[in-house]
Amino acid sequence: MTDVLNSEWLKLRSVRSTTYVLLAIAVALLGGALVSYLMTADWDTSPPDLQQKFGAADPGVMVVPFAQFCLGVLGALAITSEYGSGMIRTALVSVPRRKAYLLAKTVVVAGVSLVVALVTTLLAYQAGELITGDRPRPISAYDSFGDAVPTLLANTASLVLLGLVGLGLGFLLRSTAGALVTLCGLLFVLPTLTLLLPYPWNDRVYSVMLPVLAPQLSGELPDPPLSPVGAGLVMIAYLVLALGAGAAALLRRDA
Amino acid sequence: MIEVRQLTKRYRTTRAVDGLSFEVKPGYVAGFLGPNGAGKSTTMRAVLGLDRPTSGEALVDGRRYADIRRPMHHVGALLDAGAVHGGRSAYDHLRVLARSNGIKDRRVVATLEQVGLAGVADRRVGSLSLGMKQRLGVAAALLGDPGVLLFDEPVNGLDPEGIRWIRHLMRDLAREGRTVLVSSHLMSEMALTADRVIVIGRGKLILEASMQDLQEKFKKDVLVRSTTPDALVAVLTAAGATARSEDGALFVQGLDAPDIADLAARHRIPIHELTPRSASLEDAYLELTEESVEYRTKETGR
Repeated sequence: MTDVLNSEWLKLRSVRSTTYVLLAIAVALLGGALVSYLMTADWDTSPPDLQQKFGAADPGVMVVPFAQFCLGVLGALAITSEYGSGMIRTALVSVPRRKAYLLAKTVVVAGVSLVVALVTTLLAYQAGELITGDRPRPISAYDSFGDAVPTLLANTASLVLLGLVGLGLGFLLRSTAGALVTLCGLLFVLPTLTLLLPYPWNDRVYSVMLPVLAPQLSGELPDPPLSPVGAGLVMIAYLVLALGAGAAALLRRDA
Repeated sequence: MIEVRQLTKRYRTTRAVDGLSFEVKPGYVAGFLGPNGAGKSTTMRAVLGLDRPTSGEALVDGRRYADIRRPMHHVGALLDAGAVHGGRSAYDHLRVLARSNGIKDRRVVATLEQVGLAGVADRRVGSLSLGMKQRLGVAAALLGDPGVLLFDEPVNGLDPEGIRWIRHLMRDLAREGRTVLVSSHLMSEMALTADRVIVIGRGKLILEASMQDLQEKFKKDVLVRSTTPDALVAVLTAAGATARSEDGALFVQGLDAPDIADLAARHRIPIHELTPRSASLEDAYLELTEESVEYRTKETGR
């Protein structure tokens, strides 16, 4: 098993797409910081009554959804690039135990996603703190680091989840385009569409959409449809569903 | 040792492989022949555990491939040289495969040198020529120093020098006591490489024989031209041969050319031409697989 893990880790490191995905997240971080800086500058020149109406200048708000998509792409590419090129056949000849193959890929994608997610959320938090300085709420998102921890952890969990959902979709669909379109649907299209449903179903269905799980997990949303535990369970359901379907496709179908 | 037993693989409605059985033992090159679509690749994919047989089994050294731990130490395979991630360097590609079976980087370097790719080790696989990719595929198969080797159409895309290289390589591997199975749809190629042939068509075994037996089996007849064919036919028939006449020539079966010449001389029958004719292996192969060719063009001008 260590051999297969080693191999998968080298696989992920030795392709350029991984670098590009990480660069995209870095660019998003810079963009998020820029937006926060501009908001803060605007806040500084606004009259006090308007200052109260500002949202938080937290780069994370912009960076996390983008990084979710990026990690979904990373997870999907980890396997769809093999189906696209035919490398999967070479790979499964060297590792014919498909369960071990799936497990190694899952562990590597989860590990990389976790590290990237932690670094991204911490950098976004740190950038926000540097930019807003000792300004009060609401322009400053958090009073202290302890105040931010639940949000940072929930965002990290959602980022790792997206990496693995991407991987599961990749195993299931075997196509880069298919996996990315599905990811876009889950992250950006479906949540908007659910709002068109009649009340109360719009709120209920919206609450289990991928992008709104992290804020419910951290408990930062006022009066959320899902409790933190509920949100966590829904996240686990996504994970089991995506990887389960991917595993079934890998184990049952011919390569 | 490769054992295929009553292997059947059905895709929806078509039977790609249909009750196929054969064995390949160590020490010789086995040519796996058949027209396009005969089921050669499907059989190899089943041996390597990529496709699950509908029924029957394929064993390598007595085991199912999927049950072998670190299989690259036992079996090396070149299926499709293009089936690689184009973005990795040749060196990284081999390292990825090597690591999955606990093979050291040192061995990767040695194998790259063995196949003549040391100079392009850092180039991305996507930028390599088809011939170089073919060599890279061979390198991947050799990484674990396996006792059983499967090559699917290994000479495709190789230049003459590369073709000769792979021929020598396969013969050397067999001479070292390894089991070597090579598929091809070209008899002419196998005639130069293989010691035994397994011919299949439409997923079924047509013939399994040594190359010598195959040549013997398709040895044909002797063409004889004489000014007095009728007299010659009488003499030949009396000696136990059969002769048929066509376009003023006789085609004699059952006697060798020297015997025919001696007989004719003894009876003072003049002979103008005496040519032993053996069907080329290519003809033999075409004759064998004629019934089972899946895709053919309409023949014109015959």
